[in-house]
Amino acid sequence: MRKYVPKDNVQKKSYYTDRFWVAPRVPQSDVEEGSHFASVVEALGDRVISAYVSVGQLIVNIKHQDNYSTLETLKDECGYKVCTELSAVDYLAQDGEFEIFYQMLNLDEALRVRVVCRIPEGEAIESTVPLFKSANFAEREMYDMFGIKINNHPFHKRIIMPDDWEGHPLLKTYPLQGDEFASWYEVDKIFGKEYRDVIGPENRDPSRIDRYDTKRFSRVGYEVDFDADISQGESKTPIEYSQTVLVDYTTGTEQLDERR
Amino acid sequence: MQVTNKLSPFFENLNFERDDNTMVINFGPQHPSAHGQLRLILELDGEEVVKATPDIGYLHRGIEKMAENMTYNEFLPTTDRLDYIASTANNYAYALSVEKLIGLDVPRRAQVIRTMLLELNRIISHLFFIATHALDVGAMSVFLYAFREREFAMDLMEDYCGARLTHSSVRIGGVPLDLPENWIENMITYTQKLPDAVKMYEDLLTENRIWKMRLEDVGTISAENAMNWGCSGIMLRGSGVKYDIRKEEPYELYSELNFDIPVSNSCDSLGRYRLYMEEMRQSARIIEQLVLMYPKTEPQLMAHSPQYISAPKEEIMTQNYALMQHFVLVTQGMKPPKGDVYVPTESPKGELGFYIKSEGEPYAYRLKCRAPSFYHTGLLQELLIGTYIADVVTIIGTTNIVFGEVDR
Amino acid sequence: MAQHKVDFASNAGLPIALTSVDKLLNWGRSNSLWPLTYGLACCAIEMMAAGGSRYDFDRMGTIFRASPRQSDVMILAGTLSKKHSEFARRLYDQMTEPKWVISMGSCANTGGMFNTYATVQGVDRIVPVDIYLPGCAPRPETLQYALMMLQKKIRKESANMNNNKKQDLRLI
Repeated sequence: MRKYVPKDNVQKKSYYTDRFWVAPRVPQSDVEEGSHFASVVEALGDRVISAYVSVGQLIVNIKHQDNYSTLETLKDECGYKVCTELSAVDYLAQDGEFEIFYQMLNLDEALRVRVVCRIPEGEAIESTVPLFKSANFAEREMYDMFGIKINNHPFHKRIIMPDDWEGHPLLKTYPLQGDEFASWYEVDKIFGKEYRDVIGPENRDPSRIDRYDTKRFSRVGYEVDFDADISQGESKTPIEYSQTVLVDYTTGTEQLDERR
Repeated sequence: MQVTNKLSPFFENLNFERDDNTMVINFGPQHPSAHGQLRLILELDGEEVVKATPDIGYLHRGIEKMAENMTYNEFLPTTDRLDYIASTANNYAYALSVEKLIGLDVPRRAQVIRTMLLELNRIISHLFFIATHALDVGAMSVFLYAFREREFAMDLMEDYCGARLTHSSVRIGGVPLDLPENWIENMITYTQKLPDAVKMYEDLLTENRIWKMRLEDVGTISAENAMNWGCSGIMLRGSGVKYDIRKEEPYELYSELNFDIPVSNSCDSLGRYRLYMEEMRQSARIIEQLVLMYPKTEPQLMAHSPQYISAPKEEIMTQNYALMQHFVLVTQGMKPPKGDVYVPTESPKGELGFYIKSEGEPYAYRLKCRAPSFYHTGLLQELLIGTYIADVVTIIGTTNIVFGEVDR
Repeated sequence: MAQHKVDFASNAGLPIALTSVDKLLNWGRSNSLWPLTYGLACCAIEMMAAGGSRYDFDRMGTIFRASPRQSDVMILAGTLSKKHSEFARRLYDQMTEPKWVISMGSCANTGGMFNTYATVQGVDRIVPVDIYLPGCAPRPETLQYALMMLQKKIRKESANMNNNKKQDLRLI
């Protein structure tokens, strides 16, 4: 029976897991009373599910339906005028949800807030392009990489992968080296399906050595006789790994002496 | 979309029944303007651009996915290839993010060396900017002069870490190597010669009538618009918004150093060009201060944190436990705490930040690279409307986009 | 009149150079190779540095041309992604004969460190390559060496391009 390989997360995992290892957590602290962050949490009101401060930035959890109104409040009332980043994290294997985060920056106070929301698979998120035009490209990239659809986006098309690409690359179920579609994409596009065998599959093994490749590697172990003619290629011999000489001890020591 | 193969010509979704007289031009992914693989689909009315659609993704290499399949230390050389003009800036941003995730303090000498390398990379990047921008606009000799200065700076980098372009000169927890002999003297010679070189470029360009005509009032972004589009770095400072992460959210030694932030109120390309020149002078000033700080530091280069960082080579070669820990860290990778962190840094192009989310595994669960050029390319959609086709090249040059970052 | 016995087999004494048409054509072609600017990623910066003032490319007669119709060599510098591969092939086909390809850097040779879904594993899946340059990024001197090797290769070839054996990926 082959080993069970879970298909919901095909990324590389550590080969050794320490059974008793408990990972520490990045230190989180509560929002201090009277600080700028406290006023932000107050302004957001009951949209906040939880809020804490970590590495000097406020992290606010909200429901995904509130994302537009939260960002609007942050922009108009709290002065977070720049949305520096917008992306998603794939938690489909564990929870069946994506975690989308918006990273906001307040230029006057030089403080940053991260707005985090969870969205179940298959649902679409409201576009924040009317508020922050930087979301234009960033939401397109999120759709391209994860497959999260955006409502009311002005140009909802793939941005980084080609337009006719199938699959969303940054999902955990997508292999790093690409699936069948990806590996033949350029051959199909340029030459057509018939040329798949002419060009051959991709070589994904970085340490592949061809046994009969004499131009780049030396022939240690596979030498031929000095006067053998290999201009027409050589006959392929089966691979022999080592030579063992069986010494028969019963008949005397001539063989051993010979070898010595 | 039509199925294409064997290069039968195809026309992708272009509407050929047009009521207006606009012409559609493909400013294709390969063009001599030295900025990489940007495809712009421009609709022109005569010579004026009516609509511009940037099409990116021609250099997508799957770097973010690679990060999910490599240990943290393994991934560091890959970050080199993001903004390949100033590689140490990306390495440093990544190393800083991981250090903030772990909660690590870097020793003083490593901080001095890192800041020197960062400022040297800033000079290298700005020299490249002026070289290619001038080449695109038409002043070809500035390309040769700036590349000459750049060669000297790259000699310094090569002396230090062995590579001219993709440095990997910074490690998580410090720097791997100490400065070689005579590096400081060469550095001082370079920073003394640099302001003369910058003065030469300014003499050639700033009062030049043709340069001013090509660059003035071209690519105007209001401060409001710049903030809305997520611009950062010189694009923001060229529009009057005084924000530099080195001053506002200081990291490394920037809080101890004495330097100014040039800001321009003219929101056009000419202002930005002058900011680049001035920033080069400020970088030279910073390096001069750092060179004086260097001899007063203790010779520790990597942070001491055996759980995450390997010991120095002398200890690995002689002590058994250091060797064992090093083996474990190299083969399995370090396991940072569970949580996420976003760390912004001021790269020569703008705000470069890494968002790392870790689940306690040696492989990052998600790594997102916030590239400044990505948002500047988005800005092109709005910036190019109403300009002439000659200005398109100028604007692409002044936004200083590097496609390694945009497409990752 | 047989005082000056002119030896037509060698050049002695005559103000003409005796050569074959092949050699003349190849001399002309190799000494003025005009590359197509095909800088894709980091190696493009090294290519530009090779064209700069320290490692001058112009002394080999190369002028970087932007249009494929006017260039001889296509120096593929940098990672070729799958989205771009179609345009690379199209530009290669638009180049006029005789044409050569130099693949510069590990990303162009074999896909390099980017063993991912979006990178073409080696530009020789798309265009036939003459010279492979290893390095990441190769120094400008390496690029010059590669160009000189290409010049040597051109001088050895026959001037009639159909006589040279090439990988038959040219379909049109």
